[in-house]
Amino acid sequence: MTILATEGLTRRFPRVTALDQLTVTVGPGVTGLVGANGAGKSTLIKILLGLLEPSAGRAQVLGMDTATKGAEIRRIVGYMPEHDCLPPDLSATEFTVHMAQMSGLPRTAARERAADVLRHVGLYEERYRAMGGYSTGMKQRVKLAQALVHDPRLVLLDEPTNGLDPQGRDEMLALIRRIGSEFGISVLVTSHLLGELERVCDHVIVIDGGKLLRSSAIGEFTQQTQTVTVEVEEGQDALAARLGELGETVTPHGRMLLVHVRAPETFDVLRDAVCELDLCLVRLEQGRQRIEDVFREPVNV
Amino acid sequence: MSEPTGVIHDIGYRHYDGARLGRGHATAALAVHSLRGIFGLGRTARSKIIPFVLVGVMLLPAVVSIAIMALIKQEGMRYTEYAVIMQAVLAIFLASQSPYAVAPDLRFRVLPLYLSRPVTLWDYVGAKLAAMTAAMFLLLAVPLTVLFVGEVVIDLPGDTHTVEYLTSMAGAAGYALLLACLGIAVASFTPRRGLGVASVIALYLLASAVSTVLFGVLESMGDDAAAAWAWLINPFFVVDAAVHVGIFGATPASNVIYPPGAGSLVAGVIMIALIGLSVTALIARYRKAASR
Ligand SMILES: Nc1ncnc2c1ncn2[C@@H]1O[C@H](COP(=O)(O)OP(=O)(O)O)[C@@H](O)[C@H]1O
Ligand SMILES: [Mg+2]
Repeated sequence: MTILATEGLTRRFPRVTALDQLTVTVGPGVTGLVGANGAGKSTLIKILLGLLEPSAGRAQVLGMDTATKGAEIRRIVGYMPEHDCLPPDLSATEFTVHMAQMSGLPRTAARERAADVLRHVGLYEERYRAMGGYSTGMKQRVKLAQALVHDPRLVLLDEPTNGLDPQGRDEMLALIRRIGSEFGISVLVTSHLLGELERVCDHVIVIDGGKLLRSSAIGEFTQQTQTVTVEVEEGQDALAARLGELGETVTPHGRMLLVHVRAPETFDVLRDAVCELDLCLVRLEQGRQRIEDVFREPVNV
Repeated sequence: MSEPTGVIHDIGYRHYDGARLGRGHATAALAVHSLRGIFGLGRTARSKIIPFVLVGVMLLPAVVSIAIMALIKQEGMRYTEYAVIMQAVLAIFLASQSPYAVAPDLRFRVLPLYLSRPVTLWDYVGAKLAAMTAAMFLLLAVPLTVLFVGEVVIDLPGDTHTVEYLTSMAGAAGYALLLACLGIAVASFTPRRGLGVASVIALYLLASAVSTVLFGVLESMGDDAAAAWAWLINPFFVVDAAVHVGIFGATPASNVIYPPGAGSLVAGVIMIALIGLSVTALIARYRKAASR
């Protein structure tokens, strides 16, 4: 079953071509759309919602053409923008109820759905307070709730983890996974970090400069992104040398080292090396390299 | 099976298979939401102060007129004069509340969320105009109706001014529509509320000052015919001339003589042109905002 499909989709702006002959197909489940800033992710989402006209090519969402069936698409699709979009003087409940009505739900149904959905995204007592005082994490949850409140068949989430701390990011990703599996709603989620999406996606599409780089099931990606990022206060070179001696592949990346995970033992080797050299560990993070790094590595498929 | 009390069960995600109403329902919901916001309902206590103080001020002449009718048995204020006499209060309400109706959606970028729903730009603009029109209508119609009820209850000798009352209600609709279009159009051009308030009030002061000064100058030069046209620079006299005088044949508001002959027709054309211009500007404004 096809959830959405594009065919030679092109969008030119006066100074850039945001989308360039993009042809992709997306099935049910969670699909990641990955690309650096300016790759054309948000532009694609706006075209899929029927809010922006393509310069050439076509797009279909849930079997409907975006050029002619925009309103019908927007009735059964949810959208979470990348930017702030919450009026600060309303409470999450008032806002979500209002947005449900804007999607065509009668008032009573809107209230019930809003209460349900706010609970699912993890907002409890605070939902009665004005949103102006919310943390970024809470704001992202309300933005997600308003995208789900009318029980769409598909949600388009534009950079939902942006601005979140590591814990907030993990919670958001877990929520996205639940939307796809437990709620049975298809998800298209964008990010400039491949590493975080591979944890929740069934399928990943990578675009760069509006062009399709790759579209494949998640398994084919994971091999390339088995990397840990290590940051130490001092002695980065010593650590790199030591790991090299122990047979690990290490690439310096600014103030950080990218260590290829050849087997689970790599983590032990890494831990022991840091201890032996008596280094101060600042950061140890799995699979969060930027998309450019992935494609700088040789692809061995 | 008996369940222990006090346990919250997670019922999991439930799909919605109830009614999904059309654009009309959504547009109406947006209009009601905006109308409530204009009067500060569902918002902080502070945001209720200005609208409700102004509603109170608008009611004063009606209350005073009723007192005059009841105590010294004299006729109160004329219905069709109400808006012209209270024009400063109406202008202040328009200036302080129209930015509330449009600026936050631009400033906090709620607009893209509305547009991600089935509603179109036209629906959005229509809902905002409807809300502001309803607010301005209530602001005028409530005191007029209070005054009329007072007149009926006190029942002075002579005819009840039912026709004048109904004329003033039609006028209130005209005032509400024209003022709302102007106010919302001007306010939509800035996401900053303060600037919106200042722009609307400045525009009113300018129109009213130019109209008065021009009238004075032309009259002192002895050109009464030209002076009469000067009134039509102020939107409040435009509606009086077009609706009250032109359509219903009422006497003009006090001290004012409109241009004879084509005067009312021209006032009507000015009114329609201003409404058309405002709506065109609004659509252009929101087309641009939506393409961001
Ligand atoms: N309304 C617009 N006018 C002009 N250029 C735009 C507009 N929207 C996006 N762009 C350009 O198109 C390219 C893709 O933008 P976007 O889709 O927002 O990328 P992403 O969401 O992947 O960061 C960027 O170079 C951006 O500057
Ligand atoms: Mg973007």
